[in-house]
Amino acid sequence: MDAGGDGAVFLETRGLVREFHVGPSVVRALDGLDLAVTRGEFLAVLGVSGSGKSTLLHLLGGLDTPTSGDVVVEGRDLASLSPRERALYRRTAVGFVFQSYYLVPSLTAEENLAVALLFQGTYGLAGRRLAGEALRRVGVEHRRRHRPSQLSGGEQQRVAIARAIVHQPPLLLADEPTGNLDRATAEEVMLLLAGIHRDLGTTVVMVTHDRETAERVADRIVHLRDGRLVDGKGPTP
Amino acid sequence: MRLWRLVILALGGLRRTPLRVALTVLGVMIGSGALVSMVAFALGVQRMAEAPFEMLGLLNNIEVLPGKDDAGEARALDDAAIDELAALPGVAAAYPDIRAAGVKLLNGDTATRAMAVGVATHVPMFGEIDELLLAGHFFESGEKPEALLSVALLRDLGFESPQEAVGSVLRLEADGLSPTDAKTFAYEHKDFTITVIGVYGMPRMVPGFHHRGVLVPMGLMKEIPGIQASLAMASLRAGKSAMGAGYEKAIVRVEHFADLARLEEQIRTMGFETQTLLERLDDMRSFFVFMDAALAAVGAVALVVAALGVVNTLLISVLERYQEIGIYKALGASDGDLVTLFLAEAGLVGLLGGLGGLALGRAVAWALGTAVNVYARSQGVTRTFDIFAFPLWLLAATVVFSVVVSVVAGVYPARRAARLDPIRALRRH
Repeated sequence: MDAGGDGAVFLETRGLVREFHVGPSVVRALDGLDLAVTRGEFLAVLGVSGSGKSTLLHLLGGLDTPTSGDVVVEGRDLASLSPRERALYRRTAVGFVFQSYYLVPSLTAEENLAVALLFQGTYGLAGRRLAGEALRRVGVEHRRRHRPSQLSGGEQQRVAIARAIVHQPPLLLADEPTGNLDRATAEEVMLLLAGIHRDLGTTVVMVTHDRETAERVADRIVHLRDGRLVDGKGPTP
Repeated sequence: MRLWRLVILALGGLRRTPLRVALTVLGVMIGSGALVSMVAFALGVQRMAEAPFEMLGLLNNIEVLPGKDDAGEARALDDAAIDELAALPGVAAAYPDIRAAGVKLLNGDTATRAMAVGVATHVPMFGEIDELLLAGHFFESGEKPEALLSVALLRDLGFESPQEAVGSVLRLEADGLSPTDAKTFAYEHKDFTITVIGVYGMPRMVPGFHHRGVLVPMGLMKEIPGIQASLAMASLRAGKSAMGAGYEKAIVRVEHFADLARLEEQIRTMGFETQTLLERLDDMRSFFVFMDAALAAVGAVALVVAALGVVNTLLISVLERYQEIGIYKALGASDGDLVTLFLAEAGLVGLLGGLGGLALGRAVAWALGTAVNVYARSQGVTRTFDIFAFPLWLLAATVVFSVVVSVVAGVYPARRAARLDPIRALRRH
């Protein structure tokens, strides 16, 4: 396993707490999490479901705001950003890959990428070129005019990955990217993510419950249990 | 440019539920169709009412009356004064407006009373009178003792049709007091023999044309006794000569409507009183403004009801597309982008509905117009009515209004979409 990154802290959480109100009770999904990710690192976060993995990714991606604590990305505290600035952060700095792909069903593969680019202000010929490149990189260029319903699960996840990297973000957040896929396809998708990490130098944070796969692709693995880190592996910044 | 792409994306959103969108568009169509056809009706009726004014050029006329006597600067409206008015720059023609009420017209033994009106045959005022002529022709010269009869007089004179009246020879009897010298009047009775050369029909609401009129050339009119009697008496009472008191009224026709106000002012400074038809037309116009507004309000209500349909459709669309909205947010769409996206959908519904409404409005206008004319014809009316007017501004305003109303209707659903929590939205199926 290559040790990724240049050692500089890219992303950091300090005392991160996220509580949810479920009826009268309060559920603490994250309980004072301190985590640092170096630039260009591939970090896998392992944990059973309900351990707070997805919540962590949502907070890192600026989709959610913490109850307390900070998320600092390249020196910027996400909590200090206005909703507009957070949208800008999501559109420029982050690429999301979800377990359920979350492709827009009415749009073709190419259009799904075009929409992502559209929100960033890239369209037309430049947009088509970027979309074509991204689809080629994930190996589904020949399926670009197909809608999600006409694609296999593996193909859909490849399109979703292409969409996540089409604008070449420095940070890729993957939430159980292989959770809905069979063993062989999951293997391909995982290698794809590893390739992107290696070739583009993208910082990757992936949450999964699949230890075996994580161990093969990640630079470092952390375990999350009840909203806290329980141990770590690999270089700790 | 980015906005345009969002609009294209919005179009894709509409494509997803074609039936629901089509029904919503239909609602907007009916609303804007009602709006456009009602306003077009009001405008059409107004046009029909104003057409005679414009056709006869009446709006280019200034009625000139003798000046008031109190300042001692009174100006008589005599032939010399009329020549002076005619010589003003920008004046096309000036002529006395002479009429005599209660002249007797006889067709053999059949007699009736009419209003004799002098016509300045040299003035191109009646250039379009052909449209009003039911039979015969206009004066060719002012020399012959000829007359045009109002259609209202025909039956009383024993004529069955306009055609029958043309060519017939009538007697015109008139009597009155005429000044014979500075202080003396004489009772006069005169008989004229006139040939009917045409019959005209005139909308009653056009001022200056008596319903029971007999139009005769100015030369003949000036010979009718009594036409200057009342002014001559007034002059006499004021201690002046009964002779040369002039006419009660003259018409000054201006070449260009734009000069009307300037010339009216100039004529007033010459010591005359003036009035124009503009004032009366203004009254009529203000009535039509009210009518336009009332009908537009009814149409607008229909459009507002349709707007509720737009709200409903978009709210359902937001509910159905929770996940899609979440995806867009995860991809970095700002709240503003999502508002734009849904407002663009609303605007597209408004645009399609507005354009469809124009077609619908025109179809309704065509159907009603045809029905009115078929009915009119069955009642023996030969004229064709064009009761709807669709000026370009109305077409444009209808589409714009339809889009604006729909976009406003889209504001609430769009804001709801923009305010969605992306994580919840993503989890929802």
